[in-house]
Parts: sequence; C-alpha cells; structure tokens
Amino acid sequence: MATNPMHQFNVHKIGPEIKIGGIDLSFTNASLFMLFSAILILLFLLFGTKEKKIVPGKIQLISEMLYGFVAKMISDTAGKKAKPYFPFIFSLFIFILFCNMIGMLPYSFTVTSHIIVTLAFAVFIFVGVTILGFAIHGFKYLKIFVPSGVPIVLLPIIMIIEIISYLSRPISLSVRLFANMMAGHTMLKVFGGFVISLGLVAGWLPLTFSIALTGLEILVAFLQAYVFAILTCIYLNDALNLHH
Amino acid sequence: MNDSKDLETRLKIAKSKLRNKEIKDTGEKGVFLGNAFKLGTELVAAVVVGVIIGFILDNWFGTKPILIIIFFIFGSAAGILNVFKAAKRMQEK
Repeated sequence: MATNPMHQFNVHKIGPEIKIGGIDLSFTNASLFMLFSAILILLFLLFGTKEKKIVPGKIQLISEMLYGFVAKMISDTAGKKAKPYFPFIFSLFIFILFCNMIGMLPYSFTVTSHIIVTLAFAVFIFVGVTILGFAIHGFKYLKIFVPSGVPIVLLPIIMIIEIISYLSRPISLSVRLFANMMAGHTMLKVFGGFVISLGLVAGWLPLTFSIALTGLEILVAFLQAYVFAILTCIYLNDALNLHH
Repeated sequence: MNDSKDLETRLKIAKSKLRNKEIKDTGEKGVFLGNAFKLGTELVAAVVVGVIIGFILDNWFGTKPILIIIFFIFGSAAGILNVFKAAKRMQEK
C-alpha cells in the first residue's frame, strides 16, 4: 500500500456521509486541504496587512510582493481595462499556488492533482469570460471566430477550426495543471519507493534524484499557478479588447 | 541615531530594488518555461475537442465513422492554430 505511487491521490470521506438530492456532498480529505489552504491564505494576508508599516516586515513584504506581481501580470497581459478583475485573478492565483505548495509537504494531499478540481476552475473561467464577452460586445463578440482577411470560400472551414480552438481552452487549461501536478507527485513517490527497495546499498542514487525532483516540483508548482493565472488574463484580454 | 535611520531606509530601498529585480527575473524565466509547457497541451486539447464533437454529432446523425474523421482533421488544424497563436504571443513579448 505504501509503495503504491497512486495511493496518495485517493479521496476518502472524513466524518459522516452527507447526501443532498442524490449528490454526495460528504466532507473529504480534498475538501479538508482546500479549506486548509483557504484558511492559510486568509491568515497570511491578514497578518501581512495588519500593521501597515512604512518599513515592511517579512510577511508584509511577501504579501505586497504578491500583490505587485499579480497587478503587473494583469496590466502587462490584459491592459488597464482588466483592473476590476484583479480580485478574481489574485484569488485564483494565490489559491492554486497555495494548493500546489501545500501538496509539496509530506503526507499532504494535492488538490490540484485531480482533474475535477482544475476542470471546475477552467470551465468557470471559460463560461465567465464568454458571458463577459457577450455582455460587453453583444453579438459582435462572435467576430472572434471570423478572422479578418479570409476569403469567403474558406470562411466556413476557418470558423469551425476557430470554434474548436476556442472550445479547447478549458481542456488545455485544466489538463495542463492537473497533468503536471499528478505526474510530478507520482514521479516523486516512485523515486521514494526506489530508495526503500534498494536500501542502504544503492538507495542513495534515487534519494539524490528525489531531492532534485523536489526542487523541480516546487518550481513547477509556482509555474503552473502562474501559467493558469496568465492564461486567464489572456482570455480576459480577448473578451475585453476585441481585435482580430 | 539619525545615521542609523538613514542607513536603514537606504538598506530597505536597496533590498526592495533587489527583490523587485528577482521577481522580474523569475517572472520572465517563468514565461519561457510556462510557454514550453503550454504548447503540448494546446495541440492535444484541440484534437480531443474535435474528436468529442465528431463523436457526439455521429451519434446524433447516425453517420458513425464519417464525422469523427472529419472533426479529427478539423481538431488537428485547430491544434496547429492554437500553437501558432501561442507562438505569436510569445514573439510579441
């Protein structure tokens, strides 16, 4: 059981079973870790902004850096018009970042290594951005499927291709995060298993790999949160500033 | 007293400059690596969506293998388009 590298992804219920209208709403270890990261974010930012010193302390500095980082990312990719969506992008980024980072702790559970979680994020963004596009531009928003300067003969084919390309957004967004997290954690577990089975004689080699991979995984955890947020900004930009 | 305060503020400014630079550096590196991760899934996702649409339409119209093949080709084209767009975005930066 302990050597099964996929065992870490098991979802199991904590506490009583809750069923509402045939839907299983029981509290699981996944919900526990989501709650845990949400509380951690809340505490971290509360402490970070509690004392507004001119010379910031460590926590204040980190939270201000995070704010600046996300604000710069939004203004770079989506322009000034995207400013009102800062809270959404910031919460998305910091939640995914904390989920990924908490997943790096031993014995913890990585929420983002489950496709249902990432797909829920991605579909929410996709539907939200589409509604936003229609709300701002009306039916003109359909223009994003019609690139300018295309001969009329090719237009139907191009339109189908553009629509498929648009529909593939939530899938590529969610699969990227999920696959990266799951592959990384499985790899870590496999190398960890090698250390145990090779023992004191040859176990040192996979151990060094394991340590190096942990570093890489921390980078990937940050990077994937960043990529998720920046792609959300890019999609937001497409909806806000219609130019194709 | 005054000197030490002066030094502290100067130290703080220098440190924050350094950290800003660090953020910028990691951010820019992150963009490249993130793009590298991105392209593969962009290509595959569109093919998957194309095949799913083809499959659903086939079931609808009862034209079993034809539409799935057509939409597979459309999906591949959309995947290439996705990669093309992503590459263009990369060059703009």
